[in-house]
Order: sequence, then structure tokens, then C-alpha cells
Amino acid sequence: MNLTINLTVNGKSHSATAEPSTSLLDFLRDTLNFKGTKLCCNTGECGACTILFNGRPINSCVTLAADANGAEITTVEGLADGEKLHPVQQAFIDTGAVQCGYCTPGFIISVKALLDRSKHPTAEEIEEAVSGNICRCTGYAKIVDAIQLAADRLEGRS
Amino acid sequence: MAKAEYTVLGTSIPRQGGVERVIGAGIYGIDLALKDELHGGILRSQHAHAKIVSIDTSAAKALPGVHAIVTAADAPDVRYGRTYIDRYMLAKNRVRYMGDPVAAVAAESQAIVKQALKKIKVVYEPLPVVIDPEETMKPSAPTLHDDMPLPKNLPPDAKVKNVCSFTTVHVGDPEKAMAEADVVVDEVYETKMIHPQYLEPRIAAAQVEPDGRITVWANAQAPFSVRTDVARLLGIPLNKVRILSTELGGGFGGKASGITSGAAIEPICALLAVKAKRPVMIVLDKAEETISTTIRSGAKMYIKTGVKKDGTMVARTGKVVYDAGAYSGFGAMAGARCTNMLGGWYLMPNCHIDGYVVYTNKQVCGPVRGPGGPQAAFAVESHMDSIAAKLGMDPTEFRLKNTPKPGDKIIGVAKLRDVSLGETIKTAAEKIGWGKVKLEKNQGIGIATGSWIESAGPGGGAIVKVNEDGSVTVHIGKIDMGTAPRFGIPLIAAEELGIPVSDVTVVNVDTDASPWDAGTVGSRAIIVSGTATRLAAIDARNQLFTMAASQLEASPDDLEIKDRQIRVKGTPSKSIPLATIATAAHNVIGEVIGRGYCDNQAMMAEEKARGSSQPFTAHACIVEVDTDTGNVKILKYVAVHDIGFPIHPVAVEGQIEGATAMSIGQALCEQVVFDDNGRTMNPSFVDYLMPTINMMPRIETTLVHGYPGAGPYGAKGAGEIGCVPPMAAIANAIYNATGVRITKLPLSPENVLRALKEAGKA
Repeated sequence: MNLTINLTVNGKSHSATAEPSTSLLDFLRDTLNFKGTKLCCNTGECGACTILFNGRPINSCVTLAADANGAEITTVEGLADGEKLHPVQQAFIDTGAVQCGYCTPGFIISVKALLDRSKHPTAEEIEEAVSGNICRCTGYAKIVDAIQLAADRLEGRS
Repeated sequence: MAKAEYTVLGTSIPRQGGVERVIGAGIYGIDLALKDELHGGILRSQHAHAKIVSIDTSAAKALPGVHAIVTAADAPDVRYGRTYIDRYMLAKNRVRYMGDPVAAVAAESQAIVKQALKKIKVVYEPLPVVIDPEETMKPSAPTLHDDMPLPKNLPPDAKVKNVCSFTTVHVGDPEKAMAEADVVVDEVYETKMIHPQYLEPRIAAAQVEPDGRITVWANAQAPFSVRTDVARLLGIPLNKVRILSTELGGGFGGKASGITSGAAIEPICALLAVKAKRPVMIVLDKAEETISTTIRSGAKMYIKTGVKKDGTMVARTGKVVYDAGAYSGFGAMAGARCTNMLGGWYLMPNCHIDGYVVYTNKQVCGPVRGPGGPQAAFAVESHMDSIAAKLGMDPTEFRLKNTPKPGDKIIGVAKLRDVSLGETIKTAAEKIGWGKVKLEKNQGIGIATGSWIESAGPGGGAIVKVNEDGSVTVHIGKIDMGTAPRFGIPLIAAEELGIPVSDVTVVNVDTDASPWDAGTVGSRAIIVSGTATRLAAIDARNQLFTMAASQLEASPDDLEIKDRQIRVKGTPSKSIPLATIATAAHNVIGEVIGRGYCDNQAMMAEEKARGSSQPFTAHACIVEVDTDTGNVKILKYVAVHDIGFPIHPVAVEGQIEGATAMSIGQALCEQVVFDDNGRTMNPSFVDYLMPTINMMPRIETTLVHGYPGAGPYGAKGAGEIGCVPPMAAIANAIYNATGVRITKLPLSPENVLRALKEAGKA
């Protein structure tokens, strides 16, 4: 009954079995031990489980592991270059956008996807990019600061 | 900005623990995995009120992979609670809300747990359900707790039942003053229950150690309170229980009230681990959490105020009916706070308010972010605008007219020391463009103020250990959930010991090692742990100076630490590395261990003698109301706060902005909705609406200075007060835009449109 899933996570190939009903989130967290992607609502509403699926941000809690066969996945664990944090990660720390931090991996992935496609995001584009991510701690003000800072740093503007 | 005399205090050095959070390290409770662990799950009542006739677990027990099933019969006959000890960890004979824990299972997999829970047969005999607290108070209502007495301080003629706490506030002669008032405004306000909805699901994990001790991992805001009740409910001494705090993915008071918060998930998990003889971990599903754990209660508030023509308030009377839920929980404390705050934080010479905290068949009231305050402020500050309108006065002028001065008293506070209220009002008015900004059709401007208590609650300690390389390890009893413990506290230790902030580590709570503490609750982290850490660091420094004095041929009083060097003041060349003295301590006292305490009694005595320097705030906003849909859009939002000296300004702003966002959520969309049977209609995030970035304005925070508080270096707590004004600020702006006063939350499109239609404005 179990399916074999072959996929690439953060540039490395993995192969493991999953039941047909297993979510990609549970597969990543419990089978492959990528705990950085967070479990929260399990209904695709909060964005804590956001990952890049073939480069696109998706909610992994409402995606089946089976659908990830052959996919290229990026999780928050795949962003830093060794000890050096990705500019989006560093910007979240520097602006005080990390309070409890539970929503942070999902936000960082959504923002990375935004900055991969848009070098000079407008306020509207920023809002749209993270509109599926809920943060209960910050009121979003410092998160917007972080996104702007990361965009500036990536373009050498800051 | 940093005051000149400080090196790191007043700067916003990035929080400790940031890196592990942005790289996705498995630090939270939910990331925990114990060797050989079993999965645990809880069977919850499907009736809001019923007798338990029988529980048959035999079919569930027979399932392969099931290791333990527990019911009330497996636990000592001990109850828990706050005001009243009125609750079993697993319901015994009776359930009182839909979500009450009835039984629990430990099994090899989550799937087996779910199957087993379905196979437990509980026979219920339904009892009448009461949802509305005012109905529940009536003598004809069913009795929810047969063996709980009515509060002793109830008025003798009060014909009520199901009341679990009563508070009365009485000042002056309100009846006479009301009769002499020129204008009287009489209103009723109502708020709904909301869930704090921290993102990380609540967990508990437990294992029995080889020596018989029980270790419990919890993502709780108050680990020592959890330890108390785990030990009590299992009938074992405190030294046989160890609570290890995981990192918390949010709390907001929803994880603050010991085992009450999670409806006893921690002792239930421990009971399963004991019975299964294997480690057990329980993770609550978000929808399960919404229906079963503690919430911010709804309140119905009657408020009547008498004023003179010149705008001087002379009398207030009122009544609060506060929903405790099925058990007393934090209801008494939150309800009392709500009752006091309904008196307002302005000059009020005559006042009488009665507050009833009432049992209902709903989930239990917890101390959610400013317990009682946001509800009261919605009534008080909406009411202030209603009075101003009736007087034909400007809302800011009316408030300033009644603003207290230093030395004045307000309801619940005998004497104020500094009063920043007036400055926050003026600053908020200026920042929003009060009286200047041009408003388009259907746009409105609103202001509301707030306050919060200065010193309330237990003391707490800190231990500062100086390692032989000169770095320090700080133990406090408060956990980090994005609050002071890893923002402001490391700065305090670094400042006092003359070391870089990176040389300071604040460790998470382990009840075996950390000093006792009431938890990260009540805006208390900077006040309690900040004060204690400062004194502990000074104690450690004094020990270091005593040891260094002979080597530097100077008096300890003449020494200072700068850049990891102990040196003679004024003669920097006479110095010795901090690490050298810390290492030398090995041959003397072993280790330099500084101890410090926040003595709450001393702090309260000081407040009594000098007056309270409690924080004040004013928020103002501009909204646009769509009169076709009822949708309210916030166009601009300013939050002006006095929180004393900001030890870590970015952390303070973050607390204010987050608290404001939570109350904007409660203002515009959030509520837990029940049907008549007590079933929650919107348990999952699909139906429970919370603010996303789309509906949030940029909250523009301004701190006003010059009002030092009771905390270290003049700091005040900042975690809760931002929750106090937003709901009224928005309601007042809607009133300004449309001329319609909405007295019930939420100000959702549906409710706004209904109110506009009733007023003939839509």
C-alpha cells in the first residue's frame, strides 16, 4: 500500500515510502526529519508549512507526499550557505521580525520566492507574497521592514 | 536611543535565539521526539453538559498497538482550579463543555490513537446547556457545579446562581452625584470570546525516569505552575517532577495559566506515560485546541456616566457579566480586572460597579493578553465618545478635561506618580492629524486610550553564573516566546558586567535548575526577571571585584568592568581580564554565582508610598466604511505608548504592534461562535478569521519618554497594554464616519452593515 517517493530536498535526493494519504508536510517532518517546516493549522490557511515546490511557494500541509514524487523541494533548511545566512534570514533577525519565530520559516520561504522573481517588489507585491502567511506576534510591521531590507541587500542597495 | 550612561541598554541588538529560528532548527515543543515514544490522544466530550453514565474502554484496549487508556478512575481523586478547585483532569461523572477531557489513549501511532478514541464507548445523559451568562445567572437556570458555593461577598439580596466570583467597586456617592449631573449617558457593550491562536500547537511529552521521577516537556508560559499541578494531580512530591520548557511558538496568555490553559494535557500525558511504562507525547490538533483550551472571555458591560455641562465626569455606575466558562479558571482575576477598569482611568470621584463572573457550558477563561482590559476598554472608550457627542465636545478635549494629574487617584489606584495619559492623547492626535486631516466620504477618525496595572503578581529570581572564560549563563524562571527573556534580559546582564551581549546566554526553564517563577505572564518579564537579573549581575560583579581588589591593589569600590577587563576607575592600565578572576574563583568559591530577586512586596510598598507609575497609551486611526458591504478598512493607525525606559526599543515596538494587531483582529473579525448546544461553529483556521497582512495597516508606534516605571532602569511592562485601546479606537472612527455607534463586537462587515441598515444609513 505504501508508495515510494523519490524527490530532491535542498539539492539532495531522498527516497522513502509514504502512505497515499500522507501529507508532504508530515513526510518532510516525520520521515525525512526536516523539522524547519512547521505544522500549524493543517488546513492550508496559515502558511507556517510553506515550502518551494519546483520553485513555487505552496502549503505542504495540503499537498500529498505522493504528488511530490520527482519534485524539487526547498525548505528553510536549504537557504543558508553553511554558516552564512541567506539575506532574507539575516534581514528577519536584524529588523526584529522574529518574535516567537514559529511563522518565520514559512514567511522566509514566501519572501525568497518573491525576491527570486521580483528584484524591486512594490508594497502591493510584498503584501500579496505573504498574504497567505499568518503572524500572531508582530502585527506585520517589522516583517515588512525585513522584506524591504532583504530586497535592498540582495540588490546591493543597502 | 541609548541613554548616554548606558553601553547596550536602550539599543536594539538582535534577539538571542534568532538564528535557530530562521534556519528552522527543531527547537519547539512540536519538534520534540523521544526515544520509544508513544502517541497520545484525548477523548473529548461531545456534549456541552451531561452526566457520564458509563465509560467502556474494552474495545479500545483490545486494539493492537494500544498501550494505555486512562479515565478519571485511573487518577487520584484530586481536583484543580484557581478560584475554586472545581475540575478533574479527566471528567468524573459529569462533563461541562464540548471539549472537556474524558479519556486518553497512548498507542504506537497516531492512526491507532484515533481508532482507539473512536472505540471508547461513553454513555451520556444530556443535561440542559447554558451559553449566555445572563441566562445562567437566573435562579431558574440549571446548577453547573453542585458543590461550589456562591461567593461570600455577594450582596445579600442578590438573586443569582452559577456565580463563581463577585467584585464590587465603590467610591463616593454615585447615586447622589448621578442625580446632580447635567447629562447622563447609559449604554451596554458586549464583546465576544476570542482564542489567542498562537501558531504552535500545544504539546506535552512525559517519561518516567529510571529513578521513578517524571519528566514532562511542555510549551507552557508558566512551567512551575505546571509542575505544581502535575505533582498534585498525580499525588507525588515536587522533587519527583521535572518540567522542561521547550521553545514556545507563541502564547499570548493562552499558555499562561498552568495546566488550566491546556485543559490538563500535561498531567494526562504523565498519567499515560506512567501507565504505559513508555514515553508519551500528545500534540493537539488546531481545531481541538480552539474548542478545548483557555480563551479571552466575552463580557457584557452596563455603563452609565453622569457629566457636568463643562465636561467634568461626576459619576459612573455599571455592571459587568463576565463569562468564566465551564470552570472557574482565570475568570475571577480577569473579571475583577474588567470590573475595575470599567471605572476608567480618568478622574472619577463617584463610582459603583458590580462584576459577576459566571459559569457557562463553554470553554474556560484564561489570562489572554491583558485579561479583562481590552473588553473594559471597548466599553469605556466607546462610551467616552458617546458622552463627548452628547455634550458636543471634541473627543480629545473631553478626555483631556478628565485626565488625572500626578497625585490624583483613579479607580483601583490610590495614587498616581506620573501620568503620561495627557501626553499620549496629544501625541496621538498630532500623529493622526486630528482636526487637520481631510476626510473623504465614509471616512472617519477615532481615538481611544488605555492603561494597565503596574505591579501585580509574585516576585521572582535570577541566577548569573560567571564561567571561567568570562562569559555568563543566566537562569530565570520565565520562558522566551518572543518577549523580554532573550531581547532585554541579555542586555541587562551585559550592561552590568561590562561584557558583549554575545557573551550572555539566557537558558530556557528547567524546573530542576531555574529559580521559581510565576511565568512569562502579566507584562511581568522585564519587571520581574529584569529586576532580578540586574541585581544578580551586580552581585556577581561585587564578588568579582572582591577577588580582583588585592591583585589590582585597589578597593573593590574603585573597580569597574569594561570590555571584559576588570580595571581601576580612572587608571585603565591597571586591569586584569574578567576571565582570569572567574578562573581564579575555582580555587576559592568554585564559581562566581550572582543571585538577585524581584521583591514584589517591596515593589508594591514603593508604589503605595510614591504612587503608581503605570503605563498609559492612546491609539488613533482613520477608517473607511464601505456602506454597501459593511467592510471597514483601516487607512492609518498610530499607537502612542509610555512604557517607561525602553530597554530594547525594537522588542517594545514589537510587543505593542503585535498586541495592537490582536485587538484589531478582535475588533474586525475574530470570535469563537457557538450554537445553542455549545458546539463551536468555527474551530479550524478555515473559519476562525484572523488578521493577515491584507487587513492590517502599518501600525505607527511612538514612545513617549520621561515617566519612569517600577521596572529596572525605569522600564514598564509592554506586552499587554497594546491590546487595550484598538477596539474602541476603530469603533469610534466608524462612528465618526457614519454616525452609527456599534456596541457589540466584532465590527465585521455583517454586523456593521446590520447596524447601518438599522440606522437607515445603508
